[in-house]
Amino acid sequence: MTDGPNPTDPNLARTTGPHVAVVETEDAVERRAKEAYFTASQGQLIWSRFKKQRAAMIAACVLIFLVISGLFAPFLSPYDPTISGRNKDYTNGAPQIPQFCDKNGCSMRPFIHAVERERSMATNFRWVTKINEDERNYVQFFVTGDSYKLFGFIPGSLHLFGVEEGKIHIFGTDEDGQDLFSRTLHAIWTSLQVGTIGVFIAFVLALIIGGVAGYYGGWIDGVIQMITDAVRTVPAIPLFMAVAAFMPPEMSAEARFFYISIILGFIGWPTLARRVRTHLLTERNQEYVLAAQLCGASSPHVIRRHLLPSFTSYIIVDLVISFPYMVLSETALSFIGLGLKDPVSSLGVMLQKATSADVMLNYQWYFIPVIFFIALVMAFVFVGDGLRDAADPYSDTKK
Amino acid sequence: MLNFARFVATRGIMAIITLMIVSLVVFSLMELVPGDCAERYLAFKNTQGSSVAIQAELEAERTRLGLDRPFLERWGKWIVNAFQGEFGDSCILRVNIANLLGDKFWLSLAICLASLSLAYAIAIPVGIIAAASNNAWLNNSLRIVSYLGLAMPNFLLALMIMLFATVWFGETLTGLFSDEYRDAPWSWGKFVDLLSHAWLPIFILGWSATAFALQTVRALMSDEIGKLYVTAAAARGVHGRKLLWGYPARHALGPIINSLGFDLNRIFNELPIVALILVMTDAGALLIEALARSNDQQLAGAIIFLLTASIVSLNFITDVMLAVIDPRVRKSIVR
Repeated sequence: MTDGPNPTDPNLARTTGPHVAVVETEDAVERRAKEAYFTASQGQLIWSRFKKQRAAMIAACVLIFLVISGLFAPFLSPYDPTISGRNKDYTNGAPQIPQFCDKNGCSMRPFIHAVERERSMATNFRWVTKINEDERNYVQFFVTGDSYKLFGFIPGSLHLFGVEEGKIHIFGTDEDGQDLFSRTLHAIWTSLQVGTIGVFIAFVLALIIGGVAGYYGGWIDGVIQMITDAVRTVPAIPLFMAVAAFMPPEMSAEARFFYISIILGFIGWPTLARRVRTHLLTERNQEYVLAAQLCGASSPHVIRRHLLPSFTSYIIVDLVISFPYMVLSETALSFIGLGLKDPVSSLGVMLQKATSADVMLNYQWYFIPVIFFIALVMAFVFVGDGLRDAADPYSDTKK
Repeated sequence: MLNFARFVATRGIMAIITLMIVSLVVFSLMELVPGDCAERYLAFKNTQGSSVAIQAELEAERTRLGLDRPFLERWGKWIVNAFQGEFGDSCILRVNIANLLGDKFWLSLAICLASLSLAYAIAIPVGIIAAASNNAWLNNSLRIVSYLGLAMPNFLLALMIMLFATVWFGETLTGLFSDEYRDAPWSWGKFVDLLSHAWLPIFILGWSATAFALQTVRALMSDEIGKLYVTAAAARGVHGRKLLWGYPARHALGPIINSLGFDLNRIFNELPIVALILVMTDAGALLIEALARSNDQQLAGAIIFLLTASIVSLNFITDVMLAVIDPRVRKSIVR
């Protein structure tokens, strides 16, 4: 009909030979995009849909930032979060914000004012912390300080920032003089650890229980569903409290930590188990499973190559969504004194002291860590929601 | 009518079976707590000046309390008593649990139900309006409120409100009664006093429930609004509020009623901690007291059982309500 290469010819190879100028019509571009779409793996598809959601992307950045600051907490925080890193001379101290200028002029390097503690006739013989506005402590980077173990095994004593003399507390200190900034960073790490262990245990239990229910179906499914539903009706936090009360008070902080994570996992499984079972039940009867079976595929092959990939993305989404609830439950438990105890930094532990009227009236910086936790939980919720929308192949058509 | 009775009966039996399973879980947990009542009683006796506990004495005490009976028998006895509202004595406080809980439980239940009603009183109209309108500003702010409700646990909210109250009003909004009414018998004055104190816990407990309910209502409504029967009704000339409330809202009502039970569950979750912060001496705070301070497993078991029983009963009531308003539900269950 026409001379020369036809741009609408579906057989594009002829138009892209060595002697033919590459003709990229709109049609071809579109076709390539479609080709890329149809040959993309599930992960690529989810990622391309996830990228389109602004809120989820921002949340993902916040989340990565928080996770990294939790991971490198020992390096990023200037002091040891436990009692050994305390500042005896600055208890219940206000946040010290590095500044560039004061009444004696400006400097290129940020500094904080030195503090002194004194007790005299003038202060009615009580210890009073006073800021000495004439003495400057310059902020320094990469200082050597309290030794720590990064990730639990890499020893080190380098800290991102500090001051030459005295100590710097950008979030202030608590009543023992412990640095709230250091504790906040370590608390994020604690929350992430508790959440991960809890989610992992819940996930394994859910996979076994939900898997059995979904695979066998019939009366076994009925009985398991009944038990799962019954467990789901019990309010979780009162149940947490009842189980957490078994912990002998003399238990060590590390043992408590693992015990709490295990309890969270053991109580968190029913919702996940239900999802696993529903996925399995619906997927089991799909045509592609039947096709694989008719081709002579063995059961393990069908489960591994067809069933599992069909719902791994959903399961990952479920895990991300259930993560913040683990973190919140841990915080609530620690807050009432049934969860983690003092040497371990956790938001709940840090807030325990914040309920008194004294703290509320005079030391409001105790509440700074709360902002980080709301950010952490919100980030998880947004990322989870974004992932859920992205993993749902019909989310585009719904809108 | 016969169908309906059969439906109610099946649902009732299922509710009772659920309660039995829960009671088994709770009872096993109580049994797992180290130390039993006999040891506690003897330990108490010893503080009263008698000699050290001997094994024989311990055995005798166990026999007296029936602790030597097999597990299933004791569970059976406990559950039969529990259904009659009788939970025996707490072996730490040495008082009857039913007397101890009494008013406190009903008071907490009333507060929780009040916050549940508050949540839905806000969520249903706002959710429907949000789903119907295309106002981006309204929808986005609602989304943020919903997420905040998820992310900000109620105890943090309670702490924050207390913080602002103390800083700005110099008042700590704690307790449920003024001093003069605390031990007074019920009267109109006491009721008014309760209301003047209870709004804060009701609001705090209702907060996250409202956020959840808002999302549920909005999602259900926006699903329904796009359906053909709504377009058809609009084509017939039904419009405005009549269209919204008469067509999609009626369809969305079923799932909303269904979610009531889970929302009550969520509120119960928050109750003990909020109660602790606001220094309310109702069942929630008593639970913490029972567990954290004294390992009082009888009291804790009784409270968890009562909380679950309220959720199961609410679920039962909502099921029956659904069957009353929606004939499809009763037909599908009875078959």
